[in-house]
Amino acid sequence: MEKSESTKIEMGESSKLERKLGKAPLLGSPSHAISSAVVANKRAGNYKRGIAIFDLILRIAAVATAIGAAVGMGTAGETLPFFTQFFQFEAGYDDLPTFQFFVVAMAIVVAYLVLSIPFSIVCIARSHVVAPRLLLIIFDTAIVSLTTSAAGASAAIVYLAHNGNQDANWLAFCNQFGDFCQTTSGAVVAGFITVVILLILIVLSAIALKRH
Amino acid sequence: MKAGALELGHASKVTSSVPKSGVNRGMSILDLFIRIIAIIATLGSAIAMGTTNETLPFFTQSIRFRAKYNDLPTFTFFVVANAIVSAYFILSLGLSIFHIMRSRAQASRIALIFFDAAMLALLTAGASAAAAIVYLAHKGNTKANWFPICQQFDSFCHRTSGSLVGSFAGVILIILLVLLSSIALSRR
Repeated sequence: MEKSESTKIEMGESSKLERKLGKAPLLGSPSHAISSAVVANKRAGNYKRGIAIFDLILRIAAVATAIGAAVGMGTAGETLPFFTQFFQFEAGYDDLPTFQFFVVAMAIVVAYLVLSIPFSIVCIARSHVVAPRLLLIIFDTAIVSLTTSAAGASAAIVYLAHNGNQDANWLAFCNQFGDFCQTTSGAVVAGFITVVILLILIVLSAIALKRH
Repeated sequence: MKAGALELGHASKVTSSVPKSGVNRGMSILDLFIRIIAIIATLGSAIAMGTTNETLPFFTQSIRFRAKYNDLPTFTFFVVANAIVSAYFILSLGLSIFHIMRSRAQASRIALIFFDAAMLALLTAGASAAAAIVYLAHKGNTKANWFPICQQFDSFCHRTSGSLVGSFAGVILIILLVLLSSIALSRR
């Protein structure tokens, strides 16, 4: 093999040096190239570890906002202080199917994010693995789509509730149910913040997937 | 030195029978193909929603019996979002072709993933907001006293529901694109 030939030559030369200086034989050039590649790999491993730690922190933040959105929408409810013989004027999240979808979708997102925290920890522990990062980026993309769709649909309904629509003759019920409107709007905003955090997570995973 | 060799071996993938650059090039070609289909889907959705115009054959003095996409601001947002996404896809065709020619490009792939994810969020938001309004138009809501307008504007409703299909197909295609790009990135 080439490698053993070159080391043989090196040994021949450096044995004279050894006799003179009593030093250990010099390393051959192929192993020198490997050592510099190892150093570069370690540096890459360090910054990949940094990215993975940031990923974990963002994931925990996303869990917090998603729980906030789900709970905020789920507990939004208001009963007006007056009533007639036939109705009681109350509003809850289950009056609108879109808000029901929002609560269910956010619950799914919370469950996914909590389950993906171990994968994130694996990525911190072993900086050079590819499979968990790939899995995370694929499922993060699907979850971004679910979260955005829930938040977008609820945003459309909240917009209608605030402004109504003249041409469709849809009345803006925020004028009566002010508290309900505020809570649901806050939940939708929390949903969109979750989307932004998830997008940052996707980009981080993509950067960490880069090979050196 | 053994530890160094082990570490390198840990980082590199197991060799497969097909050469790596061949599979990467195949994935880039598939990426281009999916992008072209996504252009057609989103552009079709934008046009289908944007050309809705239904006038009922009767009228009174005060009420207007006409439905267009810009009567509902959510539909306006849907048309704009689909137009932006299809314009982005047309512009990103160039980058996709560049990836076919140079399969080992990494920074541009990361940029493509970033923009694809951003466009995914925009398209999904537009499509789902329009879906919420279409659902309301079909079913109405008794508690909020919102009347289902589809019972009067039948053709308008059909058109808007149909244009949602193209948009959601675009969403699935973008997810596939992000998947392909990230697999190609990790296989270098």
